[in-house]
Amino acid sequence: MARSIDQIYEEALGELASASDKDGIQGLSTRYLGRKGIVTQFLRNISTLPVEDRPGAGKRTNQIKKALDTQFKEALNALETPSDDVRDQIDVSLPGRPGRRGSLHPITQISREICDIFSRLGFDIAEGPEVETDWYNFEALNLPKDHPARDMQDTFFISDDTVLRTHTSAMQIRYMEKNPPPVSVIVPGKAYRCDSDLTHTPMFHQVEGLMVGENISFGDLKGILTTFVHRMFDDQTRLRFRPSFFPFTEPSAEVDILCVICRGKGCRVCSHTGWLEVLGSGMVHPALYENVGYDVEKVTGFAFGMGVDRVAMLKYGINDLRSLFENDYRFLRQF
Amino acid sequence: MKASISWLKEYVPIEMDIDALADGLTMAGLEVDGVLPRYEGLDPVVIGKIVDVQPHPHSAELKICDVDVGDRHASIVCGAPNVTAGVFAPLAFPGTRFPDGFVLEGKDIHGVPSDGMLCSEAELGLGADDSGIMILDGDRSIGEPLTTALGLSDTVLDIDLTPNRADCLSMLGIAREIAAFGNVHVRYPATHLPEGKGRLADIAAVTIEAPDHCPRYGARLVEDITVAPSPFWLQDRLLSIGLRPINNIVDITNFVMMETGQPLHAFDFNHLNQSKIVVRLAHEGESFTTIDRKEHSLTGDMLMICDGEKPVALAGIMGGLNSEIEAGSTSVLIESACFNPVTIRRAAKRLGLSSEASHRFERGVDPDGTIIALNRAAQLMVDIAGGTLTEGLIDQHPKPIEIRKIPLSIRAVNRFLGTDLDLAAAEALLTSIECKVDVLDDDRLEVVPPSFRIDIKQSVDLMEEIARLWGYNNILTTYPSVIAEARPLNKGLYQRDRAKDIMVGLGFTETINYSFIDPASCDRLQLEPDDRLANTVSILNPLSEDQAILRSSLIPGLLDTTCRNIAQQVKTLKLFEVGKIFIKTRTDLQPEEIEMMAGLWTGTREDGSWYGRETACDFYDIKGVVEGLFDGLDIGSVAFTRSLADRCRYTRPGHTAEIRINDERVGLVGELHAGVRKNYDLNPPIFIFEIDLGRVAAHIPDQKQSVPVSTFPATSRDVTLIVDRVVESQAILDHVRNADEELVESLHFFDVFDGDPIPPSKKSISFRITYRSRSETLEDDRINDIHGVLTEKLLDAFDAAFPT
Repeated sequence: MARSIDQIYEEALGELASASDKDGIQGLSTRYLGRKGIVTQFLRNISTLPVEDRPGAGKRTNQIKKALDTQFKEALNALETPSDDVRDQIDVSLPGRPGRRGSLHPITQISREICDIFSRLGFDIAEGPEVETDWYNFEALNLPKDHPARDMQDTFFISDDTVLRTHTSAMQIRYMEKNPPPVSVIVPGKAYRCDSDLTHTPMFHQVEGLMVGENISFGDLKGILTTFVHRMFDDQTRLRFRPSFFPFTEPSAEVDILCVICRGKGCRVCSHTGWLEVLGSGMVHPALYENVGYDVEKVTGFAFGMGVDRVAMLKYGINDLRSLFENDYRFLRQF
Repeated sequence: MKASISWLKEYVPIEMDIDALADGLTMAGLEVDGVLPRYEGLDPVVIGKIVDVQPHPHSAELKICDVDVGDRHASIVCGAPNVTAGVFAPLAFPGTRFPDGFVLEGKDIHGVPSDGMLCSEAELGLGADDSGIMILDGDRSIGEPLTTALGLSDTVLDIDLTPNRADCLSMLGIAREIAAFGNVHVRYPATHLPEGKGRLADIAAVTIEAPDHCPRYGARLVEDITVAPSPFWLQDRLLSIGLRPINNIVDITNFVMMETGQPLHAFDFNHLNQSKIVVRLAHEGESFTTIDRKEHSLTGDMLMICDGEKPVALAGIMGGLNSEIEAGSTSVLIESACFNPVTIRRAAKRLGLSSEASHRFERGVDPDGTIIALNRAAQLMVDIAGGTLTEGLIDQHPKPIEIRKIPLSIRAVNRFLGTDLDLAAAEALLTSIECKVDVLDDDRLEVVPPSFRIDIKQSVDLMEEIARLWGYNNILTTYPSVIAEARPLNKGLYQRDRAKDIMVGLGFTETINYSFIDPASCDRLQLEPDDRLANTVSILNPLSEDQAILRSSLIPGLLDTTCRNIAQQVKTLKLFEVGKIFIKTRTDLQPEEIEMMAGLWTGTREDGSWYGRETACDFYDIKGVVEGLFDGLDIGSVAFTRSLADRCRYTRPGHTAEIRINDERVGLVGELHAGVRKNYDLNPPIFIFEIDLGRVAAHIPDQKQSVPVSTFPATSRDVTLIVDRVVESQAILDHVRNADEELVESLHFFDVFDGDPIPPSKKSISFRITYRSRSETLEDDRINDIHGVLTEKLLDAFDAAFPT
């Protein structure tokens, strides 16, 4: 034998290094590993070696055969996958052909999130008319005509007896009229007040909620709203319940949350109070049950309402309320 | 409602710091909106000594004063008549913020620079005297800050009172709240009326002709008074909460109102004809001039206070010019009354008049406080204005208030609130707000609320008090036990959400425009007066003329949004909105509310790019969006039919299609009319669609049904027909479908062409029909036969020809 198997291996690697195309590599593979290839021949000729050398040489030759096979295959693969060759590159940084999606208005997204949380808590979702009768918007909610509490809501009038609803609370009565207790429902929708300044737009969005049944307590009101706030913001968001007045609830509570921006330290968003007013709530006033024919002795419950627009501002860091209704494309596309 | 801490301290000890007090009030339901150090704005004011006064070179009225302020001398231009060398006076430097909000800046006065301003009492809010600068008596320390020298220190709370808490519209009311959560007692001011002369009953009389509107009327007479400015302490009290001192008599009525919450009125008794008061309703059309010199025309439901022959006051709202206290008045009849809140509110609203008095009467005053306030005012008039009290009082009380005894079960309280209070705890809480509590047994209480708490009428009102005083945040947070139940889907909401999501997937951005629009929108959309959409609903009290009607179409809002964006150079817009439109119905009840979706596309389909040129969007782009939307909503049978020119006035004739499902019109799609574009000052073509979401949703199948797909190969044949230009592809498609050939799988248009060599009245239209069987591989011969028959039918039906 003129050459050792290791010499053959070296030669093969040398030739592989200078092979540049597929044919060349395949040719090498045949020359060395083919049926009549050099390595194959070598293996066949092992029987001519002295007996004591045969096992070692056989093992070594097989190792080399395997190694070469792998190297040839890898070389072929390397040719087929893109290389550093610039002629074979595309400019991956060019913009793609657009298939861009649009966007949902931030108010829609927040309103859905709110509805979703309450749906998971088993609440029904209902909607109602935006032009409401005085009865549903005020009177049935324990807000008689000529009551000073009506001053709390600057009202757009359509006629003496019809208004643009000032709150989605108007649906409380309609829903209870149609559904016997127990009920739990939320009412998302638009509401209107003739008020326009930095912190008020004449149209805004609310989600109203109502839960009435036997043995529903003020503690339960706190529980549901705490769960809601924790899901909407996070578990670290503390709540504060503060006495207030709404004609259709008693006791009434404003719900403040620890400022989500400064975490209570005081900042511009919370007017340096550390708290943000996000919800109005309370135990449903018995007058409402009388108006819908519920048994005042049997049922209790709570109602709450929140401004979606305000929650959207907090969640998305929107500074100017009015930007929600100016519909600047560049603004809307951020959501 | 403003309350000064120093005034409150007259009635209740305040040990806690101001922040704790404000927090306590807020958590008791009296939201403190502001904590305002009263004299903070006066920090740059110091005591100066005027050393020299020289004439002003350009003005006879002005003088130039050399004022010593200790470390230096200031040169001050001043117009006050009483500037004299040698006196001490307050000198304000730039930066001073006066009580009226004015902030002093350094400037020239008539060409002479002035380092600051010598101030009057009135300017500093320390009194009513505005006749000249305030001259400080005694020997003063030059340069000392005025607030230190005069011991000026007070804090004013700005409280945002809810309308139910009429009882807190006074210092005593707020003091009572502080007492309740501070565990202290209120010190009510004591009244010691001097012995009077004469008997009031012999001198004056009160008749209530309208007892429903005036359940109580009390009066006292004070004679021999001298009308003069009030003493400083009284002026200061009023100034501290933003009221302007007028004269001692008027100031006393205002002071007592602010102290007790009971509005009072002082009549010049010598101007009351026949020395009597008659409380009656106004005559329709009667005219009356109030002290602000405004004349009002009255209606028959307004309550008047009259003398023997004429009205002298609008009850509970404002006094009359004809009986006001003037400099020379000597006899005062003090009115302390209780009026029906609704009567006062209606009149005040109707007349557009609002006063501190009407604000309180509208919300309701303490029916038992009438005489207390009357006596307090009488005593102050004797003390301050040097008056002589006439003995006795008039107390007409035709409608005494019944004592309210409210039963309360402690078990019900705990169930309602989720608390675990015992009887004693509830009793203590209610007693702290001056309720009288009787314990009936181990569960029941009988509670008599104090007369000033007119808002407490039933047990739930007491529960609120207990919750409030116990502290909302001390009530345990619990969770309701409810039956596990999956609510049925709200389909309207669900389908709306789906439709919105599809639009977003199609690249459209959601907008929300106001529901109110400009009444001119109807004209801008070129609507005829008899158009259904011209039946708009007007707002009686719009914020502005361009928001005066409710929208009857979403298009104006989208166009306004388009204008705003184009002004910002955003020229390609793909917008949509979902919202209600409002159509007036014949009855004047609620209008019809229809939920619509509208879309708008303007600008490019594709921007110019490295791979292609910019292409403008067109009708087929927006139509494709609508098709994609319906496809996404699983509505298969949508047809687009040519809209007649007069059907929609705001879209371009010939470029508008009605959208129909099973022959029901559900919307339209088309290009915006050039006239409308002009009306909105918009140049590029705009493509829009509008659909009635409710109607569309009704066609969305509740369930989907699967059909097995064929596994046999398809074969297709291409056809080109020369047809009249007016023939629409839909007709060809319908014809093929109606041929009922079950092997036809689909028809796809791939070319439409007009122009040479096609004759001008014709066009060529090419389409591919794909055939497929569900059960076998189709032989070419068979397809050729079927295809031949089908094309013959088409040639026939459309008077068509093959291309030559």
